[in-house]
Amino acid sequence: METLSYFLPQVWFGILALFLFLYVMLDGFDLGVGILSLTASTEERRGILMTSLSNVWDANETWLVLMGGGLFGAFPLAYATILNALYIPIILMVFGLIFRAVAFEFREQAQRKLFWNFAFGAGSFLAALGQGFALGGVLKGIQVNEAGQFIGTTWDWLSWQTVLVALTLIQGYVLIGSTYLIWKTTGELQETHYKTAKIAAVTTLIGAILITIGTPIFYEYARERLFHRPQVYIFALIPLLGVLFISLLIRSLFRKRERAPFIWTILLFLLTFVGLAMVVFPYIIPTQITIYEAAADPSALVFMIIFIGALIPVMLFYNIYQYIVFRGKVTGGHYGE
Amino acid sequence: MEFLSDTVVLSRMQFALTAIFHMLWPVLSTGMAIYLAIVEGIWLKTRNPDYYYHARFWSKLYLLNFGVGVATGIPMEFQFGTNWAPFSEAVGNFFGSVIGFEASWAFMLEAAFLGIMVFGWERVNPIIHFVSTILVAVGANLSTLWILTASSWMQTPTGGEMVNGKFVVHDYFQAIFNPFMAVSVSHMFIATLETSLFVIGGISAWYILNNRQPAFFSKALKIALAAAIAVAPLQIYIGHLSAEQVYYYQPSKLAAMEAQWDTIPAGQSANWSIVALPNEKTEKNDWEIAIPNALGYLLELKQQLSAPVRGLKEWKPEDRPHLVGLIYYSFRIMVGIGFLLAGLMLWSTLQWLRGKLSAENIAQQRWLMRAWIFAAPLGYIAVDSGWIVRCVGRQPWTVYGLLRTADSASHVPATNVLVSLTAFAVTYSILFIGYLYFGSRIIRRGPRLDLPIPGVETKPAVDTTPGEFVPDERPVEAQQ
Repeated sequence: METLSYFLPQVWFGILALFLFLYVMLDGFDLGVGILSLTASTEERRGILMTSLSNVWDANETWLVLMGGGLFGAFPLAYATILNALYIPIILMVFGLIFRAVAFEFREQAQRKLFWNFAFGAGSFLAALGQGFALGGVLKGIQVNEAGQFIGTTWDWLSWQTVLVALTLIQGYVLIGSTYLIWKTTGELQETHYKTAKIAAVTTLIGAILITIGTPIFYEYARERLFHRPQVYIFALIPLLGVLFISLLIRSLFRKRERAPFIWTILLFLLTFVGLAMVVFPYIIPTQITIYEAAADPSALVFMIIFIGALIPVMLFYNIYQYIVFRGKVTGGHYGE
Repeated sequence: MEFLSDTVVLSRMQFALTAIFHMLWPVLSTGMAIYLAIVEGIWLKTRNPDYYYHARFWSKLYLLNFGVGVATGIPMEFQFGTNWAPFSEAVGNFFGSVIGFEASWAFMLEAAFLGIMVFGWERVNPIIHFVSTILVAVGANLSTLWILTASSWMQTPTGGEMVNGKFVVHDYFQAIFNPFMAVSVSHMFIATLETSLFVIGGISAWYILNNRQPAFFSKALKIALAAAIAVAPLQIYIGHLSAEQVYYYQPSKLAAMEAQWDTIPAGQSANWSIVALPNEKTEKNDWEIAIPNALGYLLELKQQLSAPVRGLKEWKPEDRPHLVGLIYYSFRIMVGIGFLLAGLMLWSTLQWLRGKLSAENIAQQRWLMRAWIFAAPLGYIAVDSGWIVRCVGRQPWTVYGLLRTADSASHVPATNVLVSLTAFAVTYSILFIGYLYFGSRIIRRGPRLDLPIPGVETKPAVDTTPGEFVPDERPVEAQQ
């Protein structure tokens, strides 16, 4: 039993990290394309942008729903405390997601598209902003009592550090959205997104550098973790690899590669993700609640592994199948039939 | 306006508002998905292009509906954490797991294959397409299974016990197959199907009444009617089983449903009131119209009750559901609509048997068609009324008998909830109006009968002129 209550939360931490990573990668390009749609010069272009997402956006967003459900079941205390503390960022995200979701269908039917165009772009931005503040808020730490319940105040999640995290996440989404569009489009539209990808690569890099330097300076728990041997060698490796990947990304952009930029961006996301997970683990709310404290009963975790874990390969399979069915460049600008 | 500073009341209002609105969309996606699979199956079997065009046409409405369903559903999941953190923490072991199952078993399946179903006609072969449509239907209906399982467990929590304020599960399968589960899942499954059938039938009737492709739409109406012949009576029966369960497991809810203030002992007969004015202050009904000796027949199909029907006064005021009038009338509205729809089904079947629903004659059945149009929104009203009975009637508990609503709400400032509640009210109203507006636009444009048919090279020998555009002058609510 001892080993089980040690091992099972780790398994679930891993599963949730997988869900979160798939979400950030897939809905990341999805939201990024949404934000970029604000810059689209014509209705035709905006139509192509939205068509490139038409068949995947709902499946992409499902990873968030899955992450939420998994967190609720596997770490109920963390689910309750985090969402309670981040009331405002979560509500912002939810409203962003509402407006962008309905914009897909409403815009296609509308004769005057202006409002729904704005709802789609601004909704994507708002969702990304809410997620950025939520991430920043969790990294910053949440005030809890001995039982692990939230006792802070409404605006605890807001500080200039969390603003930095939110802005960087938005830039990251714009970057992965741009590289996705490079892959899925041709001609002038593709040219535009080579440009947006270059700009976003630079701004994301600046944000990442600031966060990498700032985190150990401002958060004691991260400092202790980072400058401790032997982890320090692994942590030193992450920025180095990051520099390597971002150089390769920028090179592929200048050489007008079509798929490589998207793949390098995904690797950058993965690297960031691994870095964050290593700073946070085994906490689920940094320095307050560990995964062992927040975990549901071992029996519940086993039950969920049987009912959800076993399904992960199946879900991955049919999601990949769906991407295979709709492979290739986007041509028409019509969502719907 | 004391409630404006009460977080618990505001959170309840927010949950009620979002749930009542959200429910309107999955009701149609789960039922209509089955209809789409049937229509596509008929097309594959008969190769009659009309059924192919039906599949294409209704899937457009499906897609619109699904988009709003997703948009309104996401807040539901996150609200458990933002507004009901103590509840989430207390019951996460079981309730949270089941919410996770819904996402992984059901929603992911529906979302992934929806893309192929709507956009994949020219990308996959018809058999794979048909399989995708079936998987969308399976996914949508598995949602009903898991959500209703979670909800039923909140009504009749079994399979474990509360230890130090947390629900510890001893037997997961006992918790899943809790006493309410089977009947509640069936009741909701049939409700989504019935609502969808009458929506599809009602829209078809609108085309027939306006003489737009009456032959084409008589096919859709007849499929809906054929299914309704089985579904409408079945729902009345399952509804009865559901009421029996409430009588047995949740006597305080039954008392509120019947506005019964005083206990009726076993072995007696009792009147059943049709209309009443319940008064919570005086703890009696100010007036009522009742059918003598009918309550026993309704609950147990015999005049004398074998178990007492406990009255609301048996519970202390803080232990019994409030808003008795709301529960009482919601229940009557739901039941009334169930019988109305069954009646419409009977009337239509009669006309069908008399040969009045043939492609040539159907347009003459003007009153029947008007009745179908009138019936289209009724299923939604019945479903929401049913949920009001189920959830308001469960009060003052979130988990019946184990966890009180007052102890379930997050400690967030009331202002936060007030702001988000207002934002939800405004946003959901926009979505609702937008959905009706754009849905009616899809309907007014009508089906496209010139789309290429997979596997057919030449143009089909059907009437390909799109129906004449007739502007709809009626108010938006009447147009669906």
